[in-house]
Amino acid sequence: MSWVAIIVTFALVDNAILARLLGVCPDITEQGRMKGAVQIGIAMTILMTVSSIGAWAVEDFILAPLGLSFLQTPLFLFLVLGVGFLLELLATRVIPGFAPAPGFSMAEVGINSASLGIVLVVARSDMTGAESLVAGFATGVGYFLVTAMMIAIRERLEVEQVPRFLRGFPLHLISAGLLAYAFMAFDRAFLARILGS
Amino acid sequence: MKPQGITGGSFLFENPATALVMGLCPAIAVTTRVMDALWMSAFVLVVLVLSALFMALIARARVSESGEVQAATLGRQRLGALLITATLTGSIEVLLTAYIPEAIAGMGIYAPLIAVNCLVLSGAERATRAETVANGVADAVASGFGFACCLVLIALVREVLGAGTITLFPVGSFGGTIAVPGLSCDPIRALGLAGGGLLCLGYLAAALRSLQTRRANAMAGKAGVQ
Repeated sequence: MSWVAIIVTFALVDNAILARLLGVCPDITEQGRMKGAVQIGIAMTILMTVSSIGAWAVEDFILAPLGLSFLQTPLFLFLVLGVGFLLELLATRVIPGFAPAPGFSMAEVGINSASLGIVLVVARSDMTGAESLVAGFATGVGYFLVTAMMIAIRERLEVEQVPRFLRGFPLHLISAGLLAYAFMAFDRAFLARILGS
Repeated sequence: MKPQGITGGSFLFENPATALVMGLCPAIAVTTRVMDALWMSAFVLVVLVLSALFMALIARARVSESGEVQAATLGRQRLGALLITATLTGSIEVLLTAYIPEAIAGMGIYAPLIAVNCLVLSGAERATRAETVANGVADAVASGFGFACCLVLIALVREVLGAGTITLFPVGSFGGTIAVPGLSCDPIRALGLAGGGLLCLGYLAAALRSLQTRRANAMAGKAGVQ
């Protein structure tokens, strides 16, 4: 698979939220404002990128040669958690003036089905290390894009008159459903068209 | 603490998926076939109950000499819950792969993701605050059954309307698939897609919320008359 194909597939065609349905949790339905979405989106993109290459290394150099692939779930979960802690520690040490928002922890935000899901997808595919890295990055970008779109839709719907029983979570899910149908425009035929094959 | 999932008719109105917004990934992803929803329900229920049991037992073991439960910090509690759910999920996944591979094939990538399911994690953490171990486990059982009911209901709607079939377990001469007359030849295929799952869950949550509001209004009206 070419680099462009990997990026388009993981960011749009098989989007983590709208196609694979990973990370559909209170975070996506009840997120705060756009600023918070940007913070979480960037954190998730970095986390997914580093976790994906980590998962590839663990699977290819430790689990598969030793025949321990059945340990994928607990090991990858703690890999994502560890990467989250390390990135947060690194950010507070390296970036001057960096202070995570109150209640924001990269490890806690990162422990969701989207980050663990993409790590498992990468480890169970036959991708190389570089391809895993790009796939993780593209998934993070796709996650960021959809999260931002959901926030924008939510902010717009807040000022609209909506029946009381639809307000909040039900309307967010229905919006996400319609967005998922819209994203179906990014399909294999689209991929073939932009790649010219 | 009373078992939350049992009190107040919560099966319907405090359902983990439709009201409390928990465990949505499997609720949407594996509900294209009733059989997969049943497997996922059973898997979540077992992991939820066992993790609640272990967490409640660990919390009991932390009782100090004065008889007070020493509260673990939130971080440690979450870490403990993650360790237990990940181990249980991994173990059950290995067993299912060995003995019932079709169940794992149906659930796909969503089976290992039970380890980070917020319904399971919150159930495990809630069990540490239960008065007794039995209360913690009863709460987990009720939450698990509520979640299972929601999952099967969504799967039923999506499979019947989206594929015109109901897929169950094959027994003897019964192949496991029931074709719904009138729908099997011309189903609404969009409901079987990812967007269909999100729409189904959204409308189900809205319907339950509407019912809940009507019930509350009716009760308030009765109280006003009296």
